Amino acid sequence: MFDFKKLFGKRALTRALAALLLALVLCLSACEGQGTGIVDTTVADTSAPTEQQTTVADTDTDAPTEEPTEEPTEESTDEPTEQPTEQPTQGTTEAPTTEPETPAETETEEPTPELDISNLPAYSGKDYVALNGNVPYFTESEKVTTSYETYGDLDALGRCTVVTACCGRDLMPTTDRGNISSIKPTGWVQAQYSIVNGGNLYNRCHLIGWQITGENANAQNLITGTRYFNENMIPYENMIADYIKETNNHVMYRVTPIFEGNNLVASGAVMEAWSVEDEGDGVCFCVYLYNVQPGVVIDYATGESYLEADGGPTTPGEETTIPDDGLLHYVLNKSSKKIHKTTCSSVPTIKPSNREDFAGTEEELAALYAKGYKDCGSCKGAH
Amino acid sequence: MILMVCIDDRGGMMFNHRRQSRDRVLCARMLEIAKDTRLHVTPYTQKIFDPSAPLCVCDAPWQAAARGEYYFAEDGEIPMERVEKVYLYRWNRAYPGDRFFHADLASLGFILTQSEDFTGSSHDQITEEIYVKEN
Repeated sequence: MFDFKKLFGKRALTRALAALLLALVLCLSACEGQGTGIVDTTVADTSAPTEQQTTVADTDTDAPTEEPTEEPTEESTDEPTEQPTEQPTQGTTEAPTTEPETPAETETEEPTPELDISNLPAYSGKDYVALNGNVPYFTESEKVTTSYETYGDLDALGRCTVVTACCGRDLMPTTDRGNISSIKPTGWVQAQYSIVNGGNLYNRCHLIGWQITGENANAQNLITGTRYFNENMIPYENMIADYIKETNNHVMYRVTPIFEGNNLVASGAVMEAWSVEDEGDGVCFCVYLYNVQPGVVIDYATGESYLEADGGPTTPGEETTIPDDGLLHYVLNKSSKKIHKTTCSSVPTIKPSNREDFAGTEEELAALYAKGYKDCGSCKGAH
Repeated sequence: MILMVCIDDRGGMMFNHRRQSRDRVLCARMLEIAKDTRLHVTPYTQKIFDPSAPLCVCDAPWQAAARGEYYFAEDGEIPMERVEKVYLYRWNRAYPGDRFFHADLASLGFILTQSEDFTGSSHDQITEEIYVKEN
């Protein structure tokens, strides 16, 4: 079982000392006759990430029409749909959180809580859970404005450990993305299922996304992640990358893959981000993302998998052999300009002269759509 | 009230009490659109505009904005019954979200009258969609 105490123990000690020091300062302030309100304000100003949070929290409190809605399902995250609300004329909906409305204090309160993955709720259709009030565990000394990136050494089992970066414009890639297929992360037992977008169960998931630091075939930055997991990491990376491009500010970013016991496939990853120059006003999150694939059962000890509907390990024939090249694989009908999954029942009926096997990147797939290709209506192609 | 709102690919507006994204070119565009009337925002939204921008800032801009005046909604309420026109800006990106704009504009009587793509300062393509409420 993963123990955060090992990871955050040193930081927790630092926080405890900081809390002790703060308590001493507060006592001294009180002795000098300063009002409790001022002390409270000081604490709030120091600990609350931003003024913005207070503003928004106030608005939320005063806005009874913004009712929580049902937890987003996998489908709802892929495609926005109208959420039921008690007041239909209100244009917004808010997803429920398992965390308190006001993020937990970070700099001056109690030491960082010790977390254990066993305390996390099991995956139930929501791709993430917020940790620590969605506030990252960075200490003050860790928040810097000089760009750097560190990739932890692989452990004794060859697994990735923690990666940390102070992300800035200067770390962003300036060249085309490279090939990463030479890396075989632990638990890399590739399988293909028609229910998985793109067919491949696993992607080589960058812990720090390519768009942020431009890392290509770095074994210390790539883990075996499901397609679902990879797709769910990207929005967080987009948020960081676009914020940096817009502001030229820095974002502290740390991704910690969580391996239970000697498992070779991570159960998930903790992603923490904090925009430095504006003290978290722009970017602030601390989430655990589940490395799961709905409909597929994964043996995290080995990386082997089978369809949930089958109720047992995959039998020969169900799992197709595909090139282990990290690319997307589809079958194209050049005549009808249709994109088929390789497992689509229509594929065998395509005339050889019209058939083209596609193996390419997301960008190359997008180029097909630009050329007029559409997804097969039966297998839904690349969607 | 003319509503301005930004959303990502999943209809998201904010995550963890923060806007999903921002863009200087978009802010300048909003000011240009609203130059002959008023653009109402909350104190939170004001911070992404130039300090000299002619904004009407208050805690409840969705109440302050009169007919024909603009309201850029981020952290505030969106009372759709007061909205006569919508400028919907799509980032054409996916971001994490826990606050969404999921109003079904068609069922509320709005029709899409114009759609235009433009390049932002940090976004390759932002789509501006204008919806007008049928009488």
